Amino acid sequence: MKESPSTISEQDKENQLIDKLIGNDDLAYEILVRQYSARMYAVARRFFTSDDDAQEALQKAFIQVFKKISTFNKDSSLMTWLHRITVNEALMIIRQKKRQNTLPLESFTQHYNEHGERTVFSDNSEQSLMEGLGHNIEALFEKNETKFSLNELIYQLPEKYCNVLLLRDIQEISTKETANIIGISEASVKTQLHRARLLLKSILEQKDKDRLEDNWKVN
Amino acid sequence: MLMIKRLMTKYIPAMLTCEEIDDFLYDFHEGQLSYTEHLTFKLHLRLCKECKDYVRKYKNTIRMSQAGFTKADPAEKVPEELIEVILKSRTKK
Repeated sequence: MKESPSTISEQDKENQLIDKLIGNDDLAYEILVRQYSARMYAVARRFFTSDDDAQEALQKAFIQVFKKISTFNKDSSLMTWLHRITVNEALMIIRQKKRQNTLPLESFTQHYNEHGERTVFSDNSEQSLMEGLGHNIEALFEKNETKFSLNELIYQLPEKYCNVLLLRDIQEISTKETANIIGISEASVKTQLHRARLLLKSILEQKDKDRLEDNWKVN
Repeated sequence: MLMIKRLMTKYIPAMLTCEEIDDFLYDFHEGQLSYTEHLTFKLHLRLCKECKDYVRKYKNTIRMSQAGFTKADPAEKVPEELIEVILKSRTKK
């Protein structure tokens, strides 16, 4: 039985739209932008605290879409392809924002004694200072200004750690898709994500320690 | 507690060391440990204050980094001016 227009599947509609886009149909471009921009914007917004950055990412993503639509081979859904382009453009903006001096990698090195037991602290006074950290650090990050600096801290992580942390923990993209976007193996995604978390953890601990020490001096 | 941990680590082959907790931590957080691995991981945490604290801070770091970014609403409208700019950027070339 011949399919009536009302029963055209979403996939068929998408294919028709893509064909029209490749055919340089103005109306199809308008439909594309109006139909997909909100979801792409939501992806971009999740990378940044500033609306301006998110809007820049969206604009740049569409420029890439307009350039590359003729190469879209329908291996994935249109939204998946648009999502990937938006992510890449957001990462590009973050890369440009990065300061020259990214954070050192050594700061998360773990220490163990001869029994293979964790020795986090070099002396007792430091230990007592750090004991309450788990709670203090949460209070610290409830403030909006700290929220902002936390983003900045993540942006300053070495690029491979920053990217994988943004994609897996912030965007909650699967390991497989993250591996595809960055162009590394799934095993590398896992390793780099674990290291990124450990590095961020030790930086936050150090920051909280500095803050407590400052408070101690003031009082 | 420290002595119990040392003795158990020495005499129970399945008992994890603190170093091994690091190796298992990622999979523990992702819920990818086997049942036995999960049990031995949890047993170590019961006996080791340092690792318990370490794992808690690891989880907190993830939670806080997520909270540090805006959870965007897909229903949020893109400003009309931006849509116009995007559409114009195509015709500009």
